[in-house]
Amino acid sequence: MNTRGVKHKDFGGLDNGDDRAAFLNHAYKPLSQFVLDDTFREFEFRQYLFACQSKLLFKLNRPVEVASRGYSFIISYSKALSRHENKLPFCFREVWIISACLALINATVSRYDGGLVTPDVEKEFFRLQGDLYSLSRVKFMRLAYLIGYGMDIEKSPANSAALSMLSWPRPAVWPSVPPDASTRVAAKEKLLQSSPKAKHFGIQRKPLPLEPSSLLREANRRRASLSAGNIFELFDGQHNLTPKDGPGADGSPMTPPPNKIPVSSMSRTNSGPVHFENSSLIRSPVDRPMKLSEVHVAAEHALNATISDPDLLKALSSVHDFELKYLDLTKGAAENYNRSWWKRHGVVLDGEIAAVCYRHGNYDLAAKSYEKVCALYAGEGWQNLLAEVLPNLAECQKILNDHAGYLASCVKLLSLDKGLFLVQERQAFESEVVRLAHSEMKHPVPLDVSSLITFSGNPGPPLELCDGDPGTLSVTVWSGFPDEISLESLTLTLIATFSADEGVKVIKSSSALVLKPGRNDVTLPLPPQRPGSYVLGVLTGQIGNLRFRSHSYSRGGPPDSDDFMSFEKPIRPVLKVSKPRPLVDLSAAISSALLMNEAQWVGLIVRPIDYSLKGAILHIDTGPGLKIEESHMIEMESCNEAFEGFGQIRNSNNISTDNSSTGGGGYERLPLIDGKLKLPDWASNLTSVLWLPVRAIDDRLLMGTSAVISQRQNIVDGMRTIALKLEFGVSHNQTFERTVAVHFTYPLYVSTRVSDKCKDGTLLLQVVLHSQVKATLTICDAWMDLQGGFVHVGKDDGRPTPGFFPLSICPSSRAGIMFCIRLGSTTNGDESELLKSHSILNIRYRISGDRALGAHSPMVHDGQDASTGSRELLFKSAIVLQRPVLEPSLAVGFLPLPSDGLRVGKLVSMRWRVERLKDIEGEAPSIHDGEVLYEVDANPENWMIAGRKRGHVSLSLEQGSRIVISVICVPLVAGYVRPPQLGLPDVDVTNISCNPAGPHLICVLPPTLSSSFCIPV
Amino acid sequence: MIVCVAVVGLQNNPLYLQSFTEADDALKLHYIVHCSLDVIDERVNNPKKTGSTMNETFLGLLYPTENYKVYGYITNTKVKFVLVTTDLDVKDADVRSFFRRFHSAYVDAVSNPFHVTGKKINSVFFAERVRDIVKSFGTNTTV
Repeated sequence: MNTRGVKHKDFGGLDNGDDRAAFLNHAYKPLSQFVLDDTFREFEFRQYLFACQSKLLFKLNRPVEVASRGYSFIISYSKALSRHENKLPFCFREVWIISACLALINATVSRYDGGLVTPDVEKEFFRLQGDLYSLSRVKFMRLAYLIGYGMDIEKSPANSAALSMLSWPRPAVWPSVPPDASTRVAAKEKLLQSSPKAKHFGIQRKPLPLEPSSLLREANRRRASLSAGNIFELFDGQHNLTPKDGPGADGSPMTPPPNKIPVSSMSRTNSGPVHFENSSLIRSPVDRPMKLSEVHVAAEHALNATISDPDLLKALSSVHDFELKYLDLTKGAAENYNRSWWKRHGVVLDGEIAAVCYRHGNYDLAAKSYEKVCALYAGEGWQNLLAEVLPNLAECQKILNDHAGYLASCVKLLSLDKGLFLVQERQAFESEVVRLAHSEMKHPVPLDVSSLITFSGNPGPPLELCDGDPGTLSVTVWSGFPDEISLESLTLTLIATFSADEGVKVIKSSSALVLKPGRNDVTLPLPPQRPGSYVLGVLTGQIGNLRFRSHSYSRGGPPDSDDFMSFEKPIRPVLKVSKPRPLVDLSAAISSALLMNEAQWVGLIVRPIDYSLKGAILHIDTGPGLKIEESHMIEMESCNEAFEGFGQIRNSNNISTDNSSTGGGGYERLPLIDGKLKLPDWASNLTSVLWLPVRAIDDRLLMGTSAVISQRQNIVDGMRTIALKLEFGVSHNQTFERTVAVHFTYPLYVSTRVSDKCKDGTLLLQVVLHSQVKATLTICDAWMDLQGGFVHVGKDDGRPTPGFFPLSICPSSRAGIMFCIRLGSTTNGDESELLKSHSILNIRYRISGDRALGAHSPMVHDGQDASTGSRELLFKSAIVLQRPVLEPSLAVGFLPLPSDGLRVGKLVSMRWRVERLKDIEGEAPSIHDGEVLYEVDANPENWMIAGRKRGHVSLSLEQGSRIVISVICVPLVAGYVRPPQLGLPDVDVTNISCNPAGPHLICVLPPTLSSSFCIPV
Repeated sequence: MIVCVAVVGLQNNPLYLQSFTEADDALKLHYIVHCSLDVIDERVNNPKKTGSTMNETFLGLLYPTENYKVYGYITNTKVKFVLVTTDLDVKDADVRSFFRRFHSAYVDAVSNPFHVTGKKINSVFFAERVRDIVKSFGTNTTV
């Protein structure tokens, strides 16, 4: 609208009823008359234009567009009104906007059917409705504040944002107090004196401002500018301090910047006892500053003059009516925003409704709305805003006895940023939790404290346990409580990472514990777990009757309040239970044999495999033929020491008599009690050798063998077993069983042979001594007790020349001793000598060996003097001497076969000649009577024998008598076949000489061709 | 006068919010920034309606009220910058230039290897730089 060039016209808006917006009603004023009178003013004209436009749009069924354009119109028109504010009645702009918004809402909603628009447009429409409601709501609050209902307006961030940045009305003259208003002033005074409601939990926070600057100051400033001209406008800040404000001017509260002072405290200060409670002073208000209550009364008076709408007047007439209208507008805004894109606006306004509901004791509704607001803020991490609303929700829940909700709210409050609340406030939250936890709750509620208590495994590698081992798991628990909190119990679940069906394992702390604020190290006993790796699952615990759970892992830091959206965090295993593996090994220390029938140290290597053997108990059970020498203590030494002088021959006796039984040197003597042995602690982690004093028992006499036959000793004979069972582990839960085989042997193995047979009947008997042990044997003496039928030549005891001794035999080497014997019987005619069937070789020897290598000198008893050194031992071996074998008594000769050869099917006579070679003396009885049993043995497949295969033939007993046995045989197959053999079953083969020996194979020709089938040519 | 600048993360969580008012009333600015997310969401979800192109980072005036103005800016990582000013006649170019400088300060701040993405920006240096940018707002317009 361009008004330049025409005569200046008034803006308008001063008529009665102009405060009610007429921008949708083109026939509101007789505008045609105005045109004629040329009194058309901007105020009416713009409204008229829009009214026409909206009428058209409504006709076109475009209510959404009307709303959209209407809203823009209201905004721009509001600016125009503000430009002319000093010419318009007090708060005309606010009143007009309220009525315009409501009129636009009514008009558009009544014409909006919602049927033919897209969802986007629909949402836009509701957004506009919300905006209109919201705008009217703000203006309405502004009016209410001006007339003193500020105490009933929630000092919420939303209200503060709307009001504190909205400038005060700028009337030409700030309204003055009407006459006779002292009762109203007193009423307002009373209203202002009502103390602001305390925040819950004793939260001390400065209320947010609802005014751009102090109303009192603004009003008085504007009044002062009226009385003293516009000069004071220039000295805006200073005029408050001017002393001419009069004796009653309470300038002090105005001195500090107005926004820094809570409005409530200011109002209290200003409405205290005053000196000028005097109606005459009220009548000349220009001369002195007004009190706040007077400002309100004056504003109310002026507003009543401005407002022509009875509804609005009523809404501002009392606090109650104000609240109704306020609720109405807020609900309208919230509902419409909730149906639009602007959910946040809607939810925040729900919170404003909740505040009113709370004030009126409608806690249920209040809690529901607050929950929505809290969810909105918490969901997006706006903790500052959440901290403002959450205490209100908690209070509602407390009043409603919603224990679960109340506790959850307290926990949420505690888990907010620490800077948002004072320590005392946080302590108040905690004390509420503790109070409820220890009170009798009808229905105990579970509580999720994930945001407050977090836990993690200890940094570093996970705890590694062997299969079947219990342990202690150390976890770090971060407590967000400001004070110490005592827990009745604490449990953690472990989740196996390898399979889902494994379920969770619960581990529980054994005792009650107190969580300090911040980091706590908690150790939990861990029962044996199955192999695999485990991560921490859920932390649960109990505070009083309250069971709480926490699902959040921390990365070793405090609960991360910023982490409201971290659903998944990398999970590190805290426990690894390894698959069953060997934890220890028990084995024999030496593989070479020990001395039979002597006390020997057998070494057992105890080798822990990355596992402590602390407190381990070894059960020792020797098998048959082996016993532990009870007279000796068991020795234990570290493996390194035991085998460090491996090459050197050590005297084991020296070790055994070493009295240093301190464990420090890795050597200790241990008692064996009931077959059990407790391993010392120093041996827990290092490989050690356990020396068991044992004696293998073998009652049999060792038999020497002939060098010709060379039959070795059976290795099993010297095998002895020791069954070992080791119980170890933290609670002796691990066992290791092994049977260790130990070889024992005699020091020597004896073989004999007759090396020479002299013509005078002397036999040189060579005795070969094979060393069986890995130790040097020193032969000190040797002699042989001969069996009957043999006597020593010359000397009577058969000892070799003493000068040959001592004779050393190195390990695995041989030595020989020659004895001269002859056949005959001893001269003393001792019967027992004659009856002996074995000769006994006696050898007196010493042994020098190391127990770490094998056979060694037998240990001496503890009491025995160690200086005796290796004592002499006696070795006995039986040797069987046989008389020389005599000449054969019979000779069997195979007589030659016919020269024309053998043919299949042709009879042949096999002939053997049996000849007696010597007289029978002491032979088999069957031969005594001159009868010899014979038997022909032939393979029936090759030969058919005609005649007797077996029978007796008579043979004279005289030497040289002979007989021929002939048997008719038929060869059955051609080829080289074995001929039939003649045997004499009654005569030992050794007495039979085969002379001449028969052929091994003889040639049998095929049968002659039959000519009867030949056809002459 | 700029009363508040804010950085809002991908999940609409506040990453940085600095108010420049003397009064202790930052909470209302939290509210304003939070509610402005409604408008940003609407613009981002309905690009056709608002007519902004895909690559436009500057969202323009979000929130024309009588008393203050809210401007928005969205980075290509969907981090939003919000500016609240009580200055009622602000040039768009000034705001664009402000956001460009603010964006580069933000990029420098999150490039700090010790900064965890998605966490609040606690850098003192960043705060100082933002203060400088706010101070010089409107003085050197670059188009």
